[in-house]
Amino acid sequence: MRLLNQEDEADESTEVTWEDQQRINTFSKYNQRLQDIEDLLQKKKTEKEYLDDVAMELELADEDEPVMYKIGETIVHIKLSQAQKLLEKEHKSIDEEISGLQNRVEECENGMKELKVLLYAKFGNAINLETNPI
Amino acid sequence: MSVSTSSTSQVETNPRGIPKAPFVSNVDDYLDGTDSSVESTLNKFQEMIAKYRYMELNVQNRRKGLDEKIPDIAKTLAMVEFLKDRRDRKLGKKAKKDDDDDDLDDDLEDEDDEAADDAPLKTTFELNDTLYAEAEIEESELVYLWLGANVMLAYPLDEAQALLSSKLAGAQQTRANAVEDLEWLREQITVMEVNLARVYNWDVRRRREAKAKGIEGTDEK
Repeated sequence: MRLLNQEDEADESTEVTWEDQQRINTFSKYNQRLQDIEDLLQKKKTEKEYLDDVAMELELADEDEPVMYKIGETIVHIKLSQAQKLLEKEHKSIDEEISGLQNRVEECENGMKELKVLLYAKFGNAINLETNPI
Repeated sequence: MSVSTSSTSQVETNPRGIPKAPFVSNVDDYLDGTDSSVESTLNKFQEMIAKYRYMELNVQNRRKGLDEKIPDIAKTLAMVEFLKDRRDRKLGKKAKKDDDDDDLDDDLEDEDDEAADDAPLKTTFELNDTLYAEAEIEESELVYLWLGANVMLAYPLDEAQALLSSKLAGAQQTRANAVEDLEWLREQITVMEVNLARVYNWDVRRRREAKAKGIEGTDEK
């Protein structure tokens, strides 16, 4: 942040119209949304990794021993084959969630890209839309 | 002035009735040029920002509450579904119509599972923090759900599943609305802050010009 010289003040102030303001707002909305989704996506991915680990572990488990499988807050003792079936179901649902989130990430990124072109074209250096300043 | 609170009927709102902030595109037109109008406008804008921020805080809390509630409902639902699935299989009425799209080969497997499933379900549950106990659950058609306010009610498995599914869907919808409201509120706050800055800068420039011209008369102070 710096104070502008008095002369610069008037020169640099390109008129911000309502349309521009809306674009800036939308950009900011996408940006915020993107961060939220990415946080969630990260969590889901970790969850998926856990599920993968569990699947591996179950491969090695003894067929005749019951598996202790956690559903909600409770652990149930079930047969290996059943546990694998439940796990498969969980896997499927988390895969769906992840791909849904990834679609939304793409949506946001595309929206931001379009707005960036418009806004940079109008404001040039007077506006900074990069998340990581270079 | 177009922002007056009396004109609520024509103020745009979002689906949950949060009003849209007006955008000041031309300060000259917006103000009538007197000092008092500048001051009162600045105050009014600040007040509106404060109101939006207050709403933002409320919605944020609501969202946080839902973020905790949703996994709880999902967990309970998972358990009910597990019990229901188990019972259905035991009764040999595994709904073939419901799952025949992806469970065709699973059904074959289920046949051999059934014999072993006859034993009561053995569970390990949390008795207290870090203390677990084992329990055997007898086949039952009823589950007891906490409804809150220290009330627990018995539901048949089907109904419990339906109830929890609808609650889950409802909570997710409410959460989606809350997120939408937050986005909306942030947008309105930005607009108001921009308005505030515009009017303020406009005022600074006006005062400077007035000073430069040496016309003290227009300045009522």
